Amino acid sequence: MKPAQFDYLRPGSLAEAIEALGANPDSKVLAGGQSLIPMMNMRLARPSALVDIGRIDGLAGISANGSLRVGATTRQAEVLADATVQRRWPLITAALRHVGHPATRARGTFGGSIAHAEPAAELPAAMLALDAAFTVHRPGGTRTVAATDFFLGHYTTVLAEDELLGHVDVPALGGSHWAFAEVARRHGDYALTGVAVRLTPDADGVVTDARVALFAVSSRPVRSAAAERLLVGTRVGDAEAATAAGKVALDDIEVAEDSFVSATYRTEATAAIVRRALLEAATNPKGEN
Amino acid sequence: MTIEDTRPRSARYVGRSVQRVEDPRLLSGQGRYVDDITLPGMLHAAFVRSPHARARILNIDASDALALDGVVAVYTAADLAWLNPMVATGPMRDGILAHSRTPLATDVVRHVGDPVAVVLARSPYLAEDGRDLVDVEYEPLEPVLDPLAALEPDSPLVDEALGTNNISHLEESAGDVERAFAEADHVTRLRFHSGRSTAAPIECRGVVAKYEDRAGGRYTIWASTQMPHLLRMFVAPVLGVPEGRVTISSPDVGGAFGLKCTVFPEDVVIPAVAKLSGRPVKWIEDRWENLAAGVHSKDMICTMEIAAKADGTMTAFRGHFVTDSGAFSSIPFTPLVDSQCAGIYLTSCYDVRDVAYSVDNPLTNKCQIGAVRGVGWVPGQLAREVAIDQLARELGKDPVELRLQNMIGPDVYTTAFGQTYDGGSYAEALEKARDAVDYASFRERQAKAREEGRYIGVGFSPFVEPTGWATASAAAGGLPNGYYDTASVTVEPDGSVTVTTGLHSHGQGHETTLAQVTADELGVPMESVRVVFGDTDSSVFGMGTYASRSAVLGFGSIRESAGQVRDRLLRLAAILLEADPGDVELVDGVAGVKGVPGKTVPLQQIALFGYFGGTARPEDVQRDALTATSGYSPGETYANGCAAAVVEVDVETGLVEVEQLVAVEDCGVQLNPTIVKGQVAGAIANGIGVALLEDLVYEDNGEFVSGSLLHYLYPSTTEVPELDLLTIETPSAVSVGGVKGVGEAGTISAPAAIVNAIADALSPFGVVIDRTPVTPEYLRRKLRDAERTREAS
Amino acid sequence: METRQGNVAVEMTVNGEPMVGIAEPRTLLSDFLRHGLGMTGTHVGCEQGVCGACTVLIDGQPARSCLTFAVQAEGCRVDTVEGMAEGGALSDVQEAFRAEHGLQCGFCTPGFLAATEALLAENPDPTDDEIRDYLSGNICRCTGYQGIIAAVRRAAQTRKAASA
Repeated sequence: MKPAQFDYLRPGSLAEAIEALGANPDSKVLAGGQSLIPMMNMRLARPSALVDIGRIDGLAGISANGSLRVGATTRQAEVLADATVQRRWPLITAALRHVGHPATRARGTFGGSIAHAEPAAELPAAMLALDAAFTVHRPGGTRTVAATDFFLGHYTTVLAEDELLGHVDVPALGGSHWAFAEVARRHGDYALTGVAVRLTPDADGVVTDARVALFAVSSRPVRSAAAERLLVGTRVGDAEAATAAGKVALDDIEVAEDSFVSATYRTEATAAIVRRALLEAATNPKGEN
Repeated sequence: MTIEDTRPRSARYVGRSVQRVEDPRLLSGQGRYVDDITLPGMLHAAFVRSPHARARILNIDASDALALDGVVAVYTAADLAWLNPMVATGPMRDGILAHSRTPLATDVVRHVGDPVAVVLARSPYLAEDGRDLVDVEYEPLEPVLDPLAALEPDSPLVDEALGTNNISHLEESAGDVERAFAEADHVTRLRFHSGRSTAAPIECRGVVAKYEDRAGGRYTIWASTQMPHLLRMFVAPVLGVPEGRVTISSPDVGGAFGLKCTVFPEDVVIPAVAKLSGRPVKWIEDRWENLAAGVHSKDMICTMEIAAKADGTMTAFRGHFVTDSGAFSSIPFTPLVDSQCAGIYLTSCYDVRDVAYSVDNPLTNKCQIGAVRGVGWVPGQLAREVAIDQLARELGKDPVELRLQNMIGPDVYTTAFGQTYDGGSYAEALEKARDAVDYASFRERQAKAREEGRYIGVGFSPFVEPTGWATASAAAGGLPNGYYDTASVTVEPDGSVTVTTGLHSHGQGHETTLAQVTADELGVPMESVRVVFGDTDSSVFGMGTYASRSAVLGFGSIRESAGQVRDRLLRLAAILLEADPGDVELVDGVAGVKGVPGKTVPLQQIALFGYFGGTARPEDVQRDALTATSGYSPGETYANGCAAAVVEVDVETGLVEVEQLVAVEDCGVQLNPTIVKGQVAGAIANGIGVALLEDLVYEDNGEFVSGSLLHYLYPSTTEVPELDLLTIETPSAVSVGGVKGVGEAGTISAPAAIVNAIADALSPFGVVIDRTPVTPEYLRRKLRDAERTREAS
Repeated sequence: METRQGNVAVEMTVNGEPMVGIAEPRTLLSDFLRHGLGMTGTHVGCEQGVCGACTVLIDGQPARSCLTFAVQAEGCRVDTVEGMAEGGALSDVQEAFRAEHGLQCGFCTPGFLAATEALLAENPDPTDDEIRDYLSGNICRCTGYQGIIAAVRRAAQTRKAASA
């Protein structure tokens, strides 16, 4: 249970980091390491080099001017404890409570959890529900990728080998309803299924826009087009709509199956937690603008 | 020898929750566990292990590994041909096949994790690098995975040499079972699959060994073990040396729970390669190895039948227990530690005289089954107690009343199979648990919850636990082996006291409890007593600690030896005080004459006189000074108690939350109530794991998929509620001091209480819970099936 | 850009003392502390990042030392169990664990002590639920957590009384 050999590179700047990634084809980015190092200890990952971005200035930090910007190497614990995030983007706070444990959140980074693209991870789904955008640094500049376009499959994203997630932008979404729910065997474990919900109501409480982002059900976090479609035009908190949305949530999604959990289980449990989340969304205090 | 107790009650340590002696060391990082041992020139070992459930080894090529800088050697079975085979002989009775293995696989690997080769390198990192470079060519063979199919005559054999897969088929009956079933008004039948779990202590196993040629060939082995002397007894013959040339030292041990009372291949391979390489060698098991290649436990297919009268009287039990034994018969306890223990204690606390059981122990291509906390008592308890709840439902009886109706009385009782209980609070424990969950109002609460779509349930699990495991209890359990345990008590010349014992402590707190016992027996302050164990060179012989035995064995052996020393101290003091020995008392390290205030002599002075008082001393003191060694072989002693669980089941997700868990424990006289509570609480938590979380999963092709703690789930702080820990004290009628053991009770009782509570919660759905762990996936499947059945009808 | 290959010297402040040890880039902080610096009080239970036995404080924050490379902690302040007792006297947290029987075999204990220190620094007056939530990443196989929860409660009270 010891990692294989690798070279350790500690770039002093973003540019150096991009260069290092480009120069070392089998390299991986090391930020908090809370997902990568267990895989390396079990020798399921054997990068030839690690590019430690933990000490690059400007990659960490939280700012909220209208929208929220979180630097990729901001520790999860810091985001969880951030009063502005709690007040204005409570969905993020709720999701982070389920991410690992205090000791892993103190080291684990916000961007790391996203870029790692573990299908059962909470933050990627929250990002989908919040219409987040990711700024990616690459040789010669940056590009921005919408959360919906970012995740490709198990531990796979659109990031090229010489690209680096720089920061995450989340629009101001005060006034929308939200909820976060998951089923896990134990507190802090990877979920068996989970959902992040966000509903935009009109003045009469009718849903004008819906996000139902599922995780731990497929090879990547996914929005449920069927559930979202169904919810638009219904009243926030409508029990029948919530039940119906739960039932269709996994339509058109290839549901994962493994040694421990069947696709049938995931489908049934997802229906339940989507319904519950939609009902809870009606009563959760909305984020401020 | 009986010592008259002349001390005032207030001076006694036994029964008081004194703080633990070992804690300051362990709390400040000064513990010394096996991985903390470093020897000059030490090499690090990593094992090449089979990725296949069953395969033929065609070739092993270590050249790439050996070419790696830092790798010193690679050894395979061919290099260890000079070792004698490791043999699991099992208990001394007919009907159990001896099973022999080589420490490293020779021609065939028999389970995922079976060791094939060992790499020695300058660091553990390099050893793993080398391990990855050893190229083993395998020819996969069809694995034997289903224990029932393994019993079929046409099954492939896990070990051709045995000629069968079944290590043992045993059966036994008492009374007239056939007639009882024929005449029964009602028969309930349950097939229950107790899942595969393991101890998984937080400290994995580990072995450090050195070999010294110049001492005539001496092995010194540091191992994380519960039984240093037994380990020496089993390891020496495999190494081909007398026991006198092997020292086993077990320093601090980071939890064991039965896992570390097995003799493993690594226990002999590491000393063997220390000899071959001429260097000390350390091997620290990693968590994957711990989960894949240590011991597994409790994987048992149980068939339980109960014959009953219409009024609820249970007239007969019949059980069949098939242990999915894994690839090897484990040393020393064999898979019978599970199956046989499930069978022969079948009647537990119930007055049922017609009873029969049979056991089978098929080998399969999985990790071996060994002793883990609660052993086969856990599946046996599950099968019986779940079946009793089923019977109660079928008869429309209250499950508590039905149990009370059939329960034995509190006095000494001999079971149908001849075990003699030494008195207990069987009914009282159940009543106490019933009251603690407020059973009187529970049904109302349950009905109200159901109206809100919430499903809560309550379950009970009264138990009897064989403790103080030794010759008599082993014979009563149908696993007849001799046990021998001793303690040696020495009052040193300055009056301080040294106790050595062949028992071992790995969390139980013997440095404290055995000091309490010794201090009381001698009449000295506890602070002056030091308890020494864990090293075959410095401790007297004993069988180690497992099977809830050490409180009983420790108290008994110390009372005997300390009593002899105390007798001498009193006679010496009498000489110094010029009094009659009968008038002398020793309290808190000071001897005085009863009724004569002020006439005293301190222990220090007595001890000095005892060593150096020349011919003024009594003759036996001139010969033996102030040291005495005694054995103790207790009669059968059984703890009892009851667990009760209240759970809420989320029928949509299949998640179960344990809302309340009550543990009533009666382990007789308690040496240290806080430590007793700690033992019960830890065992209960383990029981929660067994019931709901812990599962070692093999795929249909024999692949092992539970090799990390992300997959093998322990209960954490959020799965174990605040427990209600209640005690009753029924002193043993037979053991010294009235003490009974306590280590496994919670693990035996909690799973059945939880399973019964789940079944109770789901009674509107007609769901039969027939396995552990009760996972969300499993519960949803049961609920789905029940729904389909309802729809179909 | 700093590049490390093979064995290099790594410096960090451990329990207030500057220390230097040799580490490869891949050397885990747990191994560096235990075998590089000989501070064996920090224990290793799984190296999979699950059991929490190896928890230490890095710059005051809890961290699994098996999920941290020693080079990542270069120049940092690392606090381990060996630094808790002052002048031979157990700290308030250690005393509370002893008083409440919050340990048995002692193997997971250093991790629990570190996590408790981190919890109390962040939340000096935690509820039972908060204690359970915070410690859910540390596994104890011996105690069933009863003594541990009580110990953390006691330590919080002791500290509160001492600062009042």
